[in-house]
Amino acid sequence: MNRLRILLQNIKRGVVTEKYPLEPIRVPESFRGKPVIDVDKCVGCGACVNACPPNALTLEEDLKEGIRYIKLFVGRCIYCGRCEEVCPFDAIHLTKEFELATTSKDDLYQIVGLRMYKCPICGKPYTTIRLVKRVIDKLPPEERSLVLICPDCREKITAANRSFARR
Amino acid sequence: MTSLYRKSLWVFHLNTGSCNGCDIEVLNAFTPAQDAERFGVKLVGSPRHADAIALTGPITREALPRVIRALQAVPEPKIVVAIGSCACGGGIWHDSYSVLGGVEKLYKILKKKGIKKPITVFVPGCPPKPEAILYGILLARGMVKQKQKSRIYIESESTELMISKDLIETVKEQVMSSKISRKQVEQIASIVR
Ligand code: SF4
Ligand code: SF4
Ligand code: SF4
Repeated sequence: MNRLRILLQNIKRGVVTEKYPLEPIRVPESFRGKPVIDVDKCVGCGACVNACPPNALTLEEDLKEGIRYIKLFVGRCIYCGRCEEVCPFDAIHLTKEFELATTSKDDLYQIVGLRMYKCPICGKPYTTIRLVKRVIDKLPPEERSLVLICPDCREKITAANRSFARR
Repeated sequence: MTSLYRKSLWVFHLNTGSCNGCDIEVLNAFTPAQDAERFGVKLVGSPRHADAIALTGPITREALPRVIRALQAVPEPKIVVAIGSCACGGGIWHDSYSVLGGVEKLYKILKKKGIKKPITVFVPGCPPKPEAILYGILLARGMVKQKQKSRIYIESESTELMISKDLIETVKEQVMSSKISRKQVEQIASIVR
């Protein structure tokens, strides 16, 4: 009797197997999949790099060329969503993409290279041009010039001014 | 690669120190809902019977000798399906002292021992959905196309900072009024202009 009931239940329920690779599958609304960096919005501030627990996001600087690279290695990402949470410019988002299998590790990288701004005094690149632009827009006019000199040179200038004032 | 595995793929599930998240998902892929067996994919109990190894976990030092033995036992040609971020790149444990951190590091050790590097399919995810594992295994068999591609963007060389003249004047003034060397001041004058 019992078995008959189970049989009837199963017949009523029909086939439960998904047709997945043949038909696309719906993912839950809150599903966290592959993070994608919006190359137009990212300014290379590195906030996401600091927040990323497994260092899937790394920041590398090529000082010779003057390029800052934000590298995302999807193969190490744990899909926690912290990068999305901390990004001040809303540039990185977790998509619903989960079909990430590859046959080579190189296919798992996302690289954003941004030109860096060179300090007019020492000529050393110290931050990205986009970040300088953003910061200048946000600061009050009298403080804007501070951004255009690298921290080391600014230190020197302040020190020189101090000693001059004291004399 | 695709021509080698047109026929059924038998998989040996090898846990190399994973947190069991990925292992549960591997088992899920064989439940009636996802049912990997309809593609001829079957879990087997010994690496000697297997064509592929479903490798989960970041490969702990403790597990390393067994992993090498299991890999050696799989007959050629073999596939390693690296399941989970741990197996792909070390995941959250990538810089821990007690793990190797991903299959790439394992292959370096294998190379030293003179063992050929097996074909690898990376299935990132922490843990990957059972469908993602299924997709990875079908990718190894050439039944689906690879969707993930690397994306490289480099800003054009002509990118420049557009700043107002007043701002440049302020910077110049600041620099001139400070006691840094003459040469440096000339430098700034030439660049900021
Ligand atoms: S936090 Fe956002 S803007 Fe900053 S580097 Fe990361 S993605 Fe780019
Ligand atoms: S989702 Fe988490 S692990 Fe993945 S890149 Fe963002 S911060 Fe890093
Ligand atoms: S990838 Fe994530 S779920 Fe899988 S073994 Fe590693 S930590 Fe666990």
